[in-house]
Amino acid sequence: MAAIGILIKIFIVANVLMGAVAYLIWVERKIAAYAQDRIGPNRAGSEFGIPFGLLQPLADGAKMLLKEGVLPAYVNKPLYLIAPVIAIIAALLGFAVVPFGPVGPNQVMDFQIAPYVDIGILWVFAVGSLAVYAVILAGWSSNNKYSFIGGLRSSAQLISYEIPLGLSILGMVLITGSLDLNAIIRWQNEHHVWGVFVSPLGFIIFLVSAFAETNRLPFDLPESEQELVGGFHTEYSGMKFGMFFLGEYVHVITVSALTVILFGGGWDLWGLLPYLNYKDVGWIAAIAKLSVFSVKVAAVILFMMWIRWTLPRFRYDQLMDLAWKSLIPLALLNLFATAVVLQIVRG
Amino acid sequence: MMTKYSILAALIAALGGLGAYLMLPHKRKGTRAGLAYKAGAQAAVLALVLFAALLSPLADFVATTFFDLFAVAAVASALLMVTARDPVHSALWFASVVLSTGGLFLLAGASFLAAGTIIVYAGAIIVTFLFVIMLAQMEGRAVYDRAAHSPGPATVSCFVLLWCLLASIATLSTDTSGPIETREQQFRAETSFSRIESLVERFRLHKHSAMLTVIDQASPATNRIHGGEGAEKPQVAGIGGSLYTDHLITAGLSGVLLFVALVGAIVITNPRPRPQATGRGQAI
Repeated sequence: MAAIGILIKIFIVANVLMGAVAYLIWVERKIAAYAQDRIGPNRAGSEFGIPFGLLQPLADGAKMLLKEGVLPAYVNKPLYLIAPVIAIIAALLGFAVVPFGPVGPNQVMDFQIAPYVDIGILWVFAVGSLAVYAVILAGWSSNNKYSFIGGLRSSAQLISYEIPLGLSILGMVLITGSLDLNAIIRWQNEHHVWGVFVSPLGFIIFLVSAFAETNRLPFDLPESEQELVGGFHTEYSGMKFGMFFLGEYVHVITVSALTVILFGGGWDLWGLLPYLNYKDVGWIAAIAKLSVFSVKVAAVILFMMWIRWTLPRFRYDQLMDLAWKSLIPLALLNLFATAVVLQIVRG
Repeated sequence: MMTKYSILAALIAALGGLGAYLMLPHKRKGTRAGLAYKAGAQAAVLALVLFAALLSPLADFVATTFFDLFAVAAVASALLMVTARDPVHSALWFASVVLSTGGLFLLAGASFLAAGTIIVYAGAIIVTFLFVIMLAQMEGRAVYDRAAHSPGPATVSCFVLLWCLLASIATLSTDTSGPIETREQQFRAETSFSRIESLVERFRLHKHSAMLTVIDQASPATNRIHGGEGAEKPQVAGIGGSLYTDHLITAGLSGVLLFVALVGAIVITNPRPRPQATGRGQAI
């Protein structure tokens, strides 16, 4: 019975994620339009009296599915076909340990696919590090110079930025004393202090590295349109391209959720509202926590999109310099300073 | 019972060795190369099926299924990694081996080890391999690059080792089950138990009885490291505590070693411009 419950939970979470991704693409197009003084998609759905082009995601999805699946000649077929699958599997697996609501033995249910995993955040990194295979394989198997350069750039970028990403959270791990994401939320809730205030440098390093890990502007060198056509997914079309897209946006959601959990207090609101204490149980508290968490994640995602349409792309050497010469030393400094302060404070 | 397992183990090693030998890329090219590969693949699949039969079922059905899946996938990927013609495919099969091993670690309750293995090997090292392989020119590979070096001795030595391993594991799995029948077994059990008891006395492993300690030691160790308030310490904290108390010198030494390697790598990659060689310098 427990196994069936978990399967149902996985089904619901995966589908909610996919739906969220569909609407995130709509949001992104709207934000892009406003940033560039356009209107953006506003037609789909107007026949049925639905405003703002809210049915655009349906039209986009149908387009992806109905397009001809082109299989270029001279590609390495098995790897070419498996690359988008790896992209979406890695993105969805990473969400397994993200708690999107209260988790605990007394709660109405565990709002997490795999609760009580004490490696927590390490799992996200382990699965996230597999996402690089999708990009590098897509680039190589496409038998196309543009794709190949995109894949190579991406592998170098993702490997480099994994180091500051991993180091940046260690400050918070030291402070809260756990790798379990629930324990990290609970610590912030107990003290009513968000991670961004106790580990501000770690927050900045995490955010920058997270942008790089998700291949978002200003770090989208693997797919820079002006010089590489489309980068690693140049040769992909139809739903195969759609799977890369889906994977990227699920990754964005996961990273935003992690930002909120590690540095934004999870569902904590400094005790301003009732039902938002880790001791509160019951459906009302669960729904309140879920809502606060979702709003915060949405805010971080909007911030990422805002950045995307504001900043230009880095040059490649600037990208590497930023990781190896700035972020990694700063992350080490952050870790060292946190350890010293903790030693002094706690004796 | 024991002989049955030994025969099965020998059969697996023989079939697997034959299959691996036939699947390896050989120097002689001919019309029979494809046929030999197919025959080798069939022998290897048969060996894998027998290997799956050798695995004893665990208590839980789901755990058994996943264990068999990961175990067979790990062995099969390892075979394909060695026999793949394309180095990129080899690297990917290596990644598959690492992932399957990570799954086995997870099933054994060593989740930190699983995550660490995947992050370090699949996430960083194999990606670097792929990076290098893809940058290297793939065209114009010579026969001596593609063919296996001395495939015969390599296969024989590997599969003899595998046979030893399988045979010893098979003996272990049959020896522990079943009631104690002979006096010799009774004697061995008693002496080993008294030895454990004396160990417990000596090291004061646990406050309770020796029996509890034995059970405690037998279960996944890192799960049971106790924290200050008697609560179970999380695994990662347990491993960290062990690393910085029991293995402090080892951890420190390996840190120094890695640091030296890092400095060495930087020295190698940034060579100083050579001074203009004079005639005499060249002669030396």
